[in-house]
Amino acid sequence: MAVWALAASIRRIVTEERDWPQALRAADNAPVVEELRVVLLNGLRAALSGRGDVGEAHLEDFTQDALVRIFAKLDEFQGRSKFTTWAHSIAINVALTELRRKRWRDVSLDQFLEDGRHFAEAVDESAPADGEEEREHLVRKLKRAIAEKLSVKQRAIIAAALEGQPFDQTVALLGTNRNAAYKLLHDARRTLKDALTAEGISEETIRTSFAS
Amino acid sequence: MKPVTKEQLAGLASLVGATREQEINCSECAVFAAEFAERQLAGLPLDETLAKVEDHLAVCPECREEMLLLRRVLESGN
Repeated sequence: MAVWALAASIRRIVTEERDWPQALRAADNAPVVEELRVVLLNGLRAALSGRGDVGEAHLEDFTQDALVRIFAKLDEFQGRSKFTTWAHSIAINVALTELRRKRWRDVSLDQFLEDGRHFAEAVDESAPADGEEEREHLVRKLKRAIAEKLSVKQRAIIAAALEGQPFDQTVALLGTNRNAAYKLLHDARRTLKDALTAEGISEETIRTSFAS
Repeated sequence: MKPVTKEQLAGLASLVGATREQEINCSECAVFAAEFAERQLAGLPLDETLAKVEDHLAVCPECREEMLLLRRVLESGN
């Protein structure tokens, strides 16, 4: 093991001997909060290295926001992982949620639903299938299922996902919460899968027909 | 709406094929993400709950991206 990796492992073991939640809840918690801040900042620096749109000031902001979130969720830490791993996962979520917000498209609810209305028409069953019979059959059935089995909202949420629209923007457009939007998307996927399997197309075929 | 590309159709087929009857959502995935990352990096087996995290990651690009970065942090020794 390289010296730096050994040092990192020892540092982690020593750090994890501390009861982080208890130390953070203590009245004189300033030193441990600062220590956690540095841990999170270094983590975000490693996670987001190479991204041209993230500078040191962003990392500092994300770290501060993450600390606030971690304190708010401290009672939810179950000890199923190291505290610092749990904290890093929150910091990464905070940072990426903010970075994704910058990718929000200029789209209205009307446009979002309009895309849903025309989603099935946008699927050309022959062009993207390269003339491959099994693939063309799958796309034809998929297009039919989209048109006949899905609601406009379900079509819209799938179309948005395929366009790479950040999920939080979809949630905001629908005026709902993430869990309800996820259920809408899951129900849509499940409906399409059921429709395809009812046509005799196996799960394996659905997953792998476009793999090559 | 623009025509659906071949890549988008491939993505849709992959998503539909990976769909499970019961799935955890993003919030539930977040609860177990840290434990999942540690066990996966250590090569330890996943229990039933963590297997659902794996299923969720197969259909959720945003949670998958976050897991990738979490692994990067752990692998960097942080």
